[in-house]
Amino acid sequence: MDVALSPSGRRVIRVFFGLVLVFLYAPIVLLLLFSFNRASVPAFPLSGFTLRWYEDFLHNGEMRAALETSAIVAVLSSVIAVVLGILASLALTRRPFRGKGLVTALLLTPLVIPLIVLGISLLLLFHQFGIQLSILTVAVGHVVISVPYTILVLLPRLAQIDRALAEAAYDLGAGPWQTFRWVTLPLILPAIVSAFLIAFTTSYDEYAVASFLIGARETFPIYLYSQLRFPDKLPQVIAVAVLVLLLSIFVIVAAEVWRRRAEARLEAPA
Amino acid sequence: MGRGEGGLTLDATAPEAAAPARRRRRRFDLTTPALLAPPVSWLAVFFLAPVVYVALYSFNVLALPPQATGFSVSAWHALIHGGVYLSLFWKSVQMSLLVSALVVVVAYPLAYFLALSGTPRKYILLLLLIAPFLTSYLLRVLAWKVILGDHGVINTFLSWVGLRSAEHPLSFLLYSRFAVMLVLGYVWLPFVALPIFVTLESLDRKLLEAASDLYASRLQAFVRVTLPLSMSGVVAAFLFVFIPTVGEFVTPTLVGGTSGYMYGNQIHDLFNSGFPDWQIGATLSLFLLGVVAALTLVFIRFLRVGEARAA
Repeated sequence: MDVALSPSGRRVIRVFFGLVLVFLYAPIVLLLLFSFNRASVPAFPLSGFTLRWYEDFLHNGEMRAALETSAIVAVLSSVIAVVLGILASLALTRRPFRGKGLVTALLLTPLVIPLIVLGISLLLLFHQFGIQLSILTVAVGHVVISVPYTILVLLPRLAQIDRALAEAAYDLGAGPWQTFRWVTLPLILPAIVSAFLIAFTTSYDEYAVASFLIGARETFPIYLYSQLRFPDKLPQVIAVAVLVLLLSIFVIVAAEVWRRRAEARLEAPA
Repeated sequence: MGRGEGGLTLDATAPEAAAPARRRRRRFDLTTPALLAPPVSWLAVFFLAPVVYVALYSFNVLALPPQATGFSVSAWHALIHGGVYLSLFWKSVQMSLLVSALVVVVAYPLAYFLALSGTPRKYILLLLLIAPFLTSYLLRVLAWKVILGDHGVINTFLSWVGLRSAEHPLSFLLYSRFAVMLVLGYVWLPFVALPIFVTLESLDRKLLEAASDLYASRLQAFVRVTLPLSMSGVVAAFLFVFIPTVGEFVTPTLVGGTSGYMYGNQIHDLFNSGFPDWQIGATLSLFLLGVVAALTLVFIRFLRVGEARAA
């Protein structure tokens, strides 16, 4: 007998699961549908197929500029976040030191801070020191948001790695940098890539903190938000957003599959 | 990783005589302070220090010109005795509590199914469930704006099939408390399944078999074994929704109208409207932060007690 689920319970939950998935994906599918719809107002009945909105996007310089700005902010903030995450995770897994609990708490606390508070507090800090708001100030905020995620991805992976490997490297005369570069780094590379991607997508999509810290140059979510006020821009916004959405799903799924494979390969005895 | 094991103490293992290695070590010294300094100082400067500035503004030690500075608790007085802010906070708390509870109740059976049914497509289904969470937040909110509006998908569909005339759309759908809660639930649902799934996955199935051997029905086994053991995941999931939603301002701005206005909107407006009041705004932010911090601490304590009992 299955101790967790009766056959009928299993059937009920399966149907329920299906319904939830429909609820989750229907709005996204609807957006996809309307991005090909001829009418400029998203409404039923559908009025014919068009690629116009996607074409418009290609000629919309502002939107492309916003996508680029977001890419810059995302690369910058996720590179910094990943480096900080690696350093912190190395210290937390490899070193004994006093106050480890406190340091861990500090490093992970941004996870549970309402973004509006984070945005406002950084705004006050920058204001106090007369720092001009720009894409750099946004990137600073995004690093704070992303560091805990990178640690959560890297920490378990580092804890998994056999320490004897690093010790063997030391015995063979490798310095700490060589050991990191040739032993530890290759082993945690898959985790670094997924930490980077999580930080990147988080930053690329982040609106709340960015809305307080943005200068003249708009990131994509800020631009998207500002366009929501103009109903006639809606289909075009939907088209671009659909592209970004599909791309991000693809990247994330591909990266996860790749990471699992890569880690399985690293585990396999040579 | 027990603390007693001791980290890799480089000096003990690195060969003393290797001069090139020593030179390299001086350039890239991986001591504990060197590893910790960058991440800790980043968070100290860009996370802790800013909170101090929020506090300074809330007590008017710093102020936005032309307001004169000088220690004052007037903003805290306005928060606690004014009524307006606290009732708005209470309204947001109620909305968030309801959303978090509903979302956890919906997510629990899903996580249960994934973790305990032994389905071979476990990870594919989990990925399918979580994937929407990884897509654009604004876009998911936008989708509901398109769906719920007076000329939106639901209303035009209803009039198209003749169930309702186009002049009398269901107008409560958008710009209402309902819309805010629906969208917040939609946005967070994929995410809450994860912590519950993780705790259920780590549950030893033998416990359930033992319960069954002792003639417990499935329901009894669930109520007395599975549910208590998964409580930490449930509470974590609950907090992971409650904390971001109680300070939310983006969703209510887009789909809430005036009746869906939340505490986060109030904070946002105190900083961004034509008449900014940073003192009150900072006070409301600090209050929110305090409540969230208290909840998190209670949760951690709860986890410790749970672990101690399990051990």
